[in-house]
Amino acid sequence: MLALLFILFAGMAIGCAIAVVAQRNPLYSAISLIGVFLSLACLYVMLAAPFIAAVQVIVYAGAIMVLVVFVIMLLNVDQEERRRPHLAFLVPAAIVLAAVLIGEVAFILSSVQLYPHTPTTNISDIGLTASIGAGLFTTYLLPFEITSILLLMAIVGAMTLARQTMIPSASTRIVPGAQLLALNIIDPKVPLDDTTTVLTHTTAEAERVLGIVHDHESAPRE
Amino acid sequence: MTPQLSWYLALSAVLFTIGVAGVVIKRNVIAMFMCIELMLNAVNLTFVAFASFFQDVTGQLFVFIVMTVAAAEAAVGLGIIIAIFRNRESLDVDDASILKL
Repeated sequence: MLALLFILFAGMAIGCAIAVVAQRNPLYSAISLIGVFLSLACLYVMLAAPFIAAVQVIVYAGAIMVLVVFVIMLLNVDQEERRRPHLAFLVPAAIVLAAVLIGEVAFILSSVQLYPHTPTTNISDIGLTASIGAGLFTTYLLPFEITSILLLMAIVGAMTLARQTMIPSASTRIVPGAQLLALNIIDPKVPLDDTTTVLTHTTAEAERVLGIVHDHESAPRE
Repeated sequence: MTPQLSWYLALSAVLFTIGVAGVVIKRNVIAMFMCIELMLNAVNLTFVAFASFFQDVTGQLFVFIVMTVAAAEAAVGLGIIIAIFRNRESLDVDDASILKL
């Protein structure tokens, strides 16, 4: 019974994984990858790890794949075009090498019985949430905290990378050392003398230091 | 007949190999990204299988941390993909062969 379930879910996982690679449309690849994740979650349940299975569905199939699908939709990715001729000879080489790797691994796993099968019929609590939490907060507390720092760095990095930088137009005055500032920030209707309250310190000081001529007359106005 | 440990390891190896082949074959950045996720999941399956057969919870803790790293990788990687697309108007990896953006 368990063997049949294993064969079912393993077949689903392998089939969806091949579909991930074989599809040309990235959206179809993403949906196939969700199939792989769900199959693996079923296998985790079979391995007596219900918490990991739930996290697999929630984090991978929920959060990460939604992010990927969102980016695919955002970038309006069209289908991958047919392969250009250069480097095309690497495709059969890749398939042959992958087959060789699978064969090697299968040979090793079939010939070397490295660990005798221990029946897991005795009900253990290793997969329960309580034991995972106890392990995370006692023995592996430092990696857990480092993980939080990693997530913080990822948040900052993603915001920095994906931030829309302003395209400088003709009426934009770029002051080095400051952000890109539009002209109407630097060039209000006020005369140049009483800039003490209106302008920020950085812009005024940068202009004064760099000696930028503040030509009100020649500046284009909207 | 119950599933052996080697069955799970073989399945994990096959999934990892498919992921490696996908990274080699695919040219779309997002598709390569998804193949990397596939490889991470194959390793996760190995961890969970060993944790279940050795009756040790440490493997599942590592799976937890690997999932966190995958989430961080997804956020930063997709940010990089968006930046590349904004500069190159393409997702082909051959179009992004120059380091200068």
